[in-house]
Amino acid sequence: MDFRLDIIVEYAPFLLKGTLLTLGLSISGVLIGTILGLFIGLGKIIRNRIISSPFVCYIAFFRGTPLFVQVLIVHFGVVPLFIHETNGIVAGIIALSLNSAAYVAEIFRSGIQSIDKGQMEASRSLGMTHVQAMKYVILPQAFKRIIPPLGNEFIALLKDSSIVSVVAAPELMYWATAMNTQYGRVWEPYLTASLIYLVLTLVLSFLLNRLERRLATE
Amino acid sequence: MIKVEQLKKSFGENEVLKNINVEVKSREVVVVIGPSGSGKSTFLRCINRLESITEGRIYIEGVDITDKTTDINQVRTEVGMVFQQFNLFPHKTVIENIMLSPIKVRKVAKDQAREKGMELLRKVGLEDKANVYPDSLSGGQKQRIAIARALAMEPKIMLFDEPTSALDPEMVGEVLEVMKQLAKEGMTMIVVTHEMGFAREVGDRVIFMDGGYIVEENVPSEIFTNPKEERTKSFLSKVL
Repeated sequence: MDFRLDIIVEYAPFLLKGTLLTLGLSISGVLIGTILGLFIGLGKIIRNRIISSPFVCYIAFFRGTPLFVQVLIVHFGVVPLFIHETNGIVAGIIALSLNSAAYVAEIFRSGIQSIDKGQMEASRSLGMTHVQAMKYVILPQAFKRIIPPLGNEFIALLKDSSIVSVVAAPELMYWATAMNTQYGRVWEPYLTASLIYLVLTLVLSFLLNRLERRLATE
Repeated sequence: MIKVEQLKKSFGENEVLKNINVEVKSREVVVVIGPSGSGKSTFLRCINRLESITEGRIYIEGVDITDKTTDINQVRTEVGMVFQQFNLFPHKTVIENIMLSPIKVRKVAKDQAREKGMELLRKVGLEDKANVYPDSLSGGQKQRIAIARALAMEPKIMLFDEPTSALDPEMVGEVLEVMKQLAKEGMTMIVVTHEMGFAREVGDRVIFMDGGYIVEENVPSEIFTNPKEERTKSFLSKVL
């Protein structure tokens, strides 16, 4: 089996551009997903069933259907409602954000509910409102606790962003597939893409580990 | 100062408080004793509405705290509470634990809150621990910090919910010492405890609860040496 380094070199600029877009998609997905997820997670733990049910449904839908389908719906259905010509990158960011928001919401919910209820009681007994207690006591502790699962979600999102290539967002997998189509080669494009994903996820987990250690109080 | 009228509390079908009537005067130390499951902790938690009240009225300095229009957060700033499990905030240092509520709720300036916090730490004998995290402290130290944290809000009443029950025996004394000091300074206190020595020495009045009722209440010298009710006698014979 020969391995053609020359076509990798030829495609290097595209793969680099693709990697940058993969990063861009993932970072936007993570940021928007985390903010949305926090509110959805808080919404789900509201005791009033009528208020919490939309959040429950949201999570059920986005966790219960394939990301692939969500990307197609957003790209061909939702985005054209707002802008005339649909756009793979915009659709990708939206779909990834909405999808990760559902998972992040569950992570936040479990993190908040894992904090001993004595913490809320102590805060309230000191005269804090529910919102103050959440902000100063519960969420900071929950946040520290959810870094590992949140890290998992970020890594999953980074890899899942490859699905966006089906709507022609020119990220890493898009260029790898293009390379495969042009030269009919399998190992060069897909191994290269795999290696790049691997480097990205390893760097990400290294950064998350450091964050976790920095936030430890003991 | 505190007036509890016909207080009832149910958890679903289970009625844990059945018609409680108590009055606590200013500067009085009331000790609540009784077997586990008698409702004493629930009673205490109703007083700052950590538990919702099923029926009855509770007045604190004339304010009806069972009234829906009463600002319960305001009431709680006047009523300090100390828990069996300390409930210190593990993500904050000792001094930050103490300063948090004065700054966020009372809007006290930071320097002032710190100064007051250090003063309270001196009072409980832990000023050298100001900048450590609670996890590095012993149980007795944690509870003394929790008392200082409650005092930082300058409450008029202090509630203690079995403050020494989670402590190793050798640490019980240091916490009781702080509480005795507080009583001596004239703090109004309601203490749920199994420390009969403390009840006898510091309590102005002892309430014996069983099965959701106040079975008997009297000054400690009477209730410990000459209990009237059969249930009180049998309980005291087991714990004394």
